[in-house]
Amino acid sequence: MTSVYVDIENISRNFSGRTVLHNINGQASPGECLVLTGRNGAGKSTLLKIVAGLLRPDAGMIRFRRGERELDVEERRRCIGMVSPEVVWYKNLSGRENLRFVARLRGRKDAARELNTYLSRVGLGTDSDRRVGEYSTGMVQRLRFAALLLLQAPVWLLDEPSANLDLVGKAMVEGLVDGSPAGPHHFNGDQ
Amino acid sequence: MKVVLALWMAAVAYGVFFLVPPAEGLGYLVRIAFFHIPVAWVSVLAFFQSALEAFRYLRTREPRHDWRSSAAAALGLGFCLLATGSGAVFAKLTWGAYWNWDPRQTTIFVLLLIYGAYLALRASLEEAELRARISAVYALLSFLTVPFLVFVLPRFYYSLHPEPLLNSTGRLQMEPGMLVVLLAAVGGVTAIYWQLWRWQVGRQERQYEMPLREGVNR
Amino acid sequence: MPDKSSIWDKPLWTVLTKDLTCEFRSRQALGSLGMFALITLACVSMSLGGAVLEPQLAAALLWVVLFFAAMAGLARSFVQEQETGTLFTLRLYASAPAVFFGKLMFNLVLLMGLTAMILPLFVILLNVDVLLPEVLLLTVLLGNLGIGTVSTLTAAMLTRAQGKGALFTVLTFPVLLPQFLSAVSVTTQALNGAFTGYRELLFMAGYDGLMLAAAMLLFDILWQD
Repeated sequence: MTSVYVDIENISRNFSGRTVLHNINGQASPGECLVLTGRNGAGKSTLLKIVAGLLRPDAGMIRFRRGERELDVEERRRCIGMVSPEVVWYKNLSGRENLRFVARLRGRKDAARELNTYLSRVGLGTDSDRRVGEYSTGMVQRLRFAALLLLQAPVWLLDEPSANLDLVGKAMVEGLVDGSPAGPHHFNGDQ
Repeated sequence: MKVVLALWMAAVAYGVFFLVPPAEGLGYLVRIAFFHIPVAWVSVLAFFQSALEAFRYLRTREPRHDWRSSAAAALGLGFCLLATGSGAVFAKLTWGAYWNWDPRQTTIFVLLLIYGAYLALRASLEEAELRARISAVYALLSFLTVPFLVFVLPRFYYSLHPEPLLNSTGRLQMEPGMLVVLLAAVGGVTAIYWQLWRWQVGRQERQYEMPLREGVNR
Repeated sequence: MPDKSSIWDKPLWTVLTKDLTCEFRSRQALGSLGMFALITLACVSMSLGGAVLEPQLAAALLWVVLFFAAMAGLARSFVQEQETGTLFTLRLYASAPAVFFGKLMFNLVLLMGLTAMILPLFVILLNVDVLLPEVLLLTVLLGNLGIGTVSTLTAAMLTRAQGKGALFTVLTFPVLLPQFLSAVSVTTQALNGAFTGYRELLFMAGYDGLMLAAAMLLFDILWQD
């Protein structure tokens, strides 16, 4: 799972006549961290969703490459780990069950020890068997990071990564991003 | 083109009212058939066209195929209503009841349901790309039920309709004069449908291009 | 060496077990769906007041009850994902076939549960004699497969639409009609014993097969971006 390049080519997107993104270009190489800045409504989240393949651009293309080989839809899906306010967990499942669910969807082994490691790394070790419905917004955000770590995806898409986190949580996020073995990050400022 | 079409339809109307002899057992009521048959034919044609354009939309993802598909469906609904109405009147006058679930009545009714469902689905989807994609999927899905309906319906209900024009023996059961007028009527109504469809598609194209031009000027 | 839990790790089972777990914990669909079916049956039975039904009428009533009970409940699996916001998560992590078959199987489980409740009550409350129970059972199985397949696809279409409830029935019925009509006809035969052969059952199976293949392909289009 190494060396995934992401090319963003001439992306445009309209929402009911209003142009949100116009001819966006960019490239992200492994280890590189791109930061998207802009005021609210500038289209930061929209661009991340397009990169994640959840939204079709009106024009342009997103390419995922491993060396010179372009990845197909299914391989692309497996490359992406995303933290976003829109990633909502199942309220009737516990934090651990939610993690196990996404791990299995991605076809990853869900060894209990591995789950525990990541849960305690984001500070949810003691709450992992409570239902997500009882979590605070900050804990929900921490669970998103646990999923990101667990999937070991080469591309991280972080939309407002430190939203709803306390100071300790923000420090944790910074530590994760700095020390991550992952490839390119698309980063979205949360100010 | 429109003038030619108007003249053509006037000639067809003249034929229907002055040339066609009253049919045996049906009398002058047979004239309704010259309206009913072409209209019913067009509602089926529009259905196939809508499905075809839906398929082409999903292949190419070009918005114009979506407009074509939806224009065909909207007109199809109109023609389908006309066919159902004229058919019901004809049925009342000849068979004594407006409705009796004859296979072809059922077919046209199912078409009506599908057109209605398709247009209701479109109305409930706001974003253009999403609307195009989802309604194309529905158009194709409903198209797939047609072969099953063709197989299943005649087994369920007795038909009161006259034999098809070309029946199993391959002989035409119609006077040549009537047949000519009928074919002319079918051709004329199909041409009317075609004109309306082109007009509808053209209107949508203009609507789409307007904001784009403004965008370029800015 | 094959892992003993390997089959259950397949994504489609994951989606199914997730749905079953959530449903088991909230019991949202099952409770209201069961009551809905019971009330529809009771409604029919009470208003008939114990009159003996012709097989054809009884068959038609059975399928009307089954169809509307299904329509009341089957859209839930997708609509709920949309309403709670988890649809985004699912689209991010799950592939189209996994979701389609997972949801299809969840819907089939619901439908079978529904049928297991409706069918005996139908026989008891409406005083129906079933002369060929095995034919009836086969018909119901094939019919449910068709209802489940088509409604899984139409429910997926509706996740982004306004006014979902009514539209779901409107979209599903015309597509299901051929299946519905043959199901009524075979059920009539199963009730009165005048079974005319497996042709009609074969027709239903063919319909199921084609719809399953088509729904699989079309769902892929709905699921991508």
